[in-house]
Amino acid sequence: MKIVVAYKWAPNPQDADVAADGSVDLGRAKWAVSEYDPVALELARQLADATGGEVIGLTVGAAGIDTPLARKAALSRGLDRLVLVADDALDGADGTRVAAVLAAAVRGIGDVDVVLAGDSSVDVAAGQVALTLAGTLGWLGLAAVSAVRVADAGTAGLVVERELPAGTAVVSVPTPVVLAATADAVVPRVAGMKDILAAAKKPVEVLSLAELSVAEPGAVLTTLATAKPGGAERTARIFDGSDAAAAATELVGALRQSGAL
Amino acid sequence: MNAAQSWIVVADDAAATGLVEVARTLGTEVVAVVAGRRAVAEAVAGVVDRVLWLGEPGTAPVEAFAPDVARLVAEAAPRAVVGATTPGGRALLGAVGAALRSPVLAGVERVELAGDDVVVTRSVLGGISQHRTAVAGGPAVLAVDAGAAVAVSDTAAAVEEVAATPLPAQVVEVRPTTVAGVDLGAARVVVGVGRGLKAREDVALISGLAGALGGEVACSRPLAEGVDWLPKDRYIGISGQRVSPELYVAVGISGQLQHMVGVREAKVIVAVNSDKAAPVFAQCDYGIVGDLYQVVPALTAALGGTA
Ligand SMILES: Cc1cc2nc3c(=O)[nH]c(=O)nc-3n(C[C@H](O)[C@H](O)[C@H](O)COP(=O)(O)OP(=O)(O)OC[C@H]3O[C@@H](n4cnc5c(N)ncnc54)[C@H](O)[C@@H]3O)c2cc1C
Repeated sequence: MKIVVAYKWAPNPQDADVAADGSVDLGRAKWAVSEYDPVALELARQLADATGGEVIGLTVGAAGIDTPLARKAALSRGLDRLVLVADDALDGADGTRVAAVLAAAVRGIGDVDVVLAGDSSVDVAAGQVALTLAGTLGWLGLAAVSAVRVADAGTAGLVVERELPAGTAVVSVPTPVVLAATADAVVPRVAGMKDILAAAKKPVEVLSLAELSVAEPGAVLTTLATAKPGGAERTARIFDGSDAAAAATELVGALRQSGAL
Repeated sequence: MNAAQSWIVVADDAAATGLVEVARTLGTEVVAVVAGRRAVAEAVAGVVDRVLWLGEPGTAPVEAFAPDVARLVAEAAPRAVVGATTPGGRALLGAVGAALRSPVLAGVERVELAGDDVVVTRSVLGGISQHRTAVAGGPAVLAVDAGAAVAVSDTAAAVEEVAATPLPAQVVEVRPTTVAGVDLGAARVVVGVGRGLKAREDVALISGLAGALGGEVACSRPLAEGVDWLPKDRYIGISGQRVSPELYVAVGISGQLQHMVGVREAKVIVAVNSDKAAPVFAQCDYGIVGDLYQVVPALTAALGGTA
C-alpha cells in the first residue's frame, strides 16, 4: 500500500505579534510540523507496517519550508521518503491552491492508495485542505477519522472509524481515499536520536512548482482591511490564592460588585 | 456567473439556519443542494426558494455525494456557495472549492455585497486578526457555523430529485453517542476546565462550582479529545464551541489562543491557575493564582454551595 501523508510546516500563531491595526508579524513564531500532523504520520506508519507499505511525506509551501531542520522533523517521524514543493509563489497561498498543488504532486507520485492528513493546521485551523484535496483528485474525502485498518480478507479497501457528532461511524471505503484524522486518533511517537540520524539518510525529492500542472485560481481575494479583534484586551485584577478562602471571598465580592454575579 | 443566486450545500443536517442566513444576504434566490435523507431536504425546503435533492443515501456517507454537489454548483455558477463547518459540510465545500478553483473561506463573521463582489469579514490565523476580504472573479465559497435546525414552515418549495452517482463507500455500523447534548450557548455562566485537572473524578469539583454559579461545565480540547473526560460538545475554542456568557471561569487552562478565541465574547472572564505566568492571566478580568484543588472548593463555599 502506498500512503502519502500531507503535512504542514507551519508557524505557531501563539507567538505572533499583532499590531493595533491587525497586521500580523510572525517573525517570532516557532515553525514546526503542525501540531496534529504527527497523528497522521503515526497512523500512516501503523497502516503501512500492517500492510507492508510505504509512507511518503508531502508538504508544499514557500521556499522557507525547505530547511534541514524541517526535513528532519518530518523524516524522523516514520516516513520512508519525502516529497516537497517549496516555492515563494506559494507564500500565503489559500487552501484551494495548496490543495491543487498537493493534488498535482500526488498524481506525480503515482499509484497512491491513501492520503492521510491531520485534523487542522496550527495556523489556519480550518480543517479544509485535506477535503479540498479529495475534491481536486475526485476521490472520497473523510474527516474525523479516529482509526484505519485494512478490510478483512476477501474485501478490498479500508475500514475506518469516524467520530461524528451523532456517534461513532464505521465506514468501509475503497481506495484511493483521503482521510483526515481526529486530533487524538493515535499517540504519535517521539522521535529518538536513532530516528533523527536515520532521517538524514532518507530520500528527499524536490518538485518544482512550474513543472506541476496546477490550474489558475477561479476567484481572486483582495484584503480590504485588517483589524485587531475586539474583546481581546482585558486587564486582570489578580488575587493571591495562597490563602484560598480569602482569595475566593475577595473574588466573589468583586464579581458581585461588578454585577457579574 | 449567476449573480442573483446563492447556494447552500447541505450535508444531511437540518441544522442550517446559519447557512440560509448568510446565503440570503448574498443572493435574492437561495438554492439548496441536499445530500442526505429526504426528511432533511423537506425541512430545508421550508426556508429556501429551490431544493435539489440527490436521493436517499442508503448506506453511503454524505461525503460520497461531494462530486455530485460540486458538479451542480459549478454548472449554476452562483455568486456564493455556503456550507457548514461540520466534517460533512467541509467535504462538500472542498469539492465545490476544487471545482470552482475558489478558496473556501472559514472563520466567517459577517458578509456583505459590494456591487457584484462578496465581501467577507473573517477571523484569521486562529483568531489573532480579522480580515475584510473581497472575492472577485468567481463564486465566494464560505464555511460557516451551521446554526440551529431550520424552522418548520407550511409553505415549502418543491423538492426536486436529481440523479446522483455517489462514490462507492458504505457506512457499515453507527454507534450513537449516549451522552445528551448540551447547549453551552444558552448558559449565563460557563466554567471551563483544562489539563490542570489531575483525574476524571475531579470533574465533580468543577460541577460543584458550576452548580453554585448556576452555570454549565465546559473544558479545553485535550479534556474532550485525548482523555475523554468530558463530551466533545463541551469543549470550547476554534474547533469547538464559541460562547458568549456573562461569566466564563477558566480553571486549570493555560490560555492558548485556540481556546481563548471561543470565549472572547464573554462579558467577564475569571482565571484560576497555579502558574502566575500562564497566558490566560493576560486575557482575563479577574484571576486567582493558586492551586485549583484549594481555590475551587473555596470559591464554591464562598458562593454558598457545597464543595
Ligand atoms: C489547530 C488547532 C486547533 C485547536 N483547537 C482548540 C480548541 O478548539 N479548544 C481548545 O481548548 N484547544 C484547542 N487547541 C489546543 C490548544 O492549542 C491547547 O493545546 C489547549 O487549549 C491547552 O489546553 P489546556 O489549557 O487545558 O492545557 P495546558 O496548556 O496543558 O494548560 C494546563 C494549565 O493548567 C495549569 N495547572 C496545572 N495544575 C494546576 C493546578 N493544580 N491548579 C491550577 N492550575 C493548574 C497549568 O499551569 C497550565 O496553565 C487547538 C490546537 C490546534 C493546533
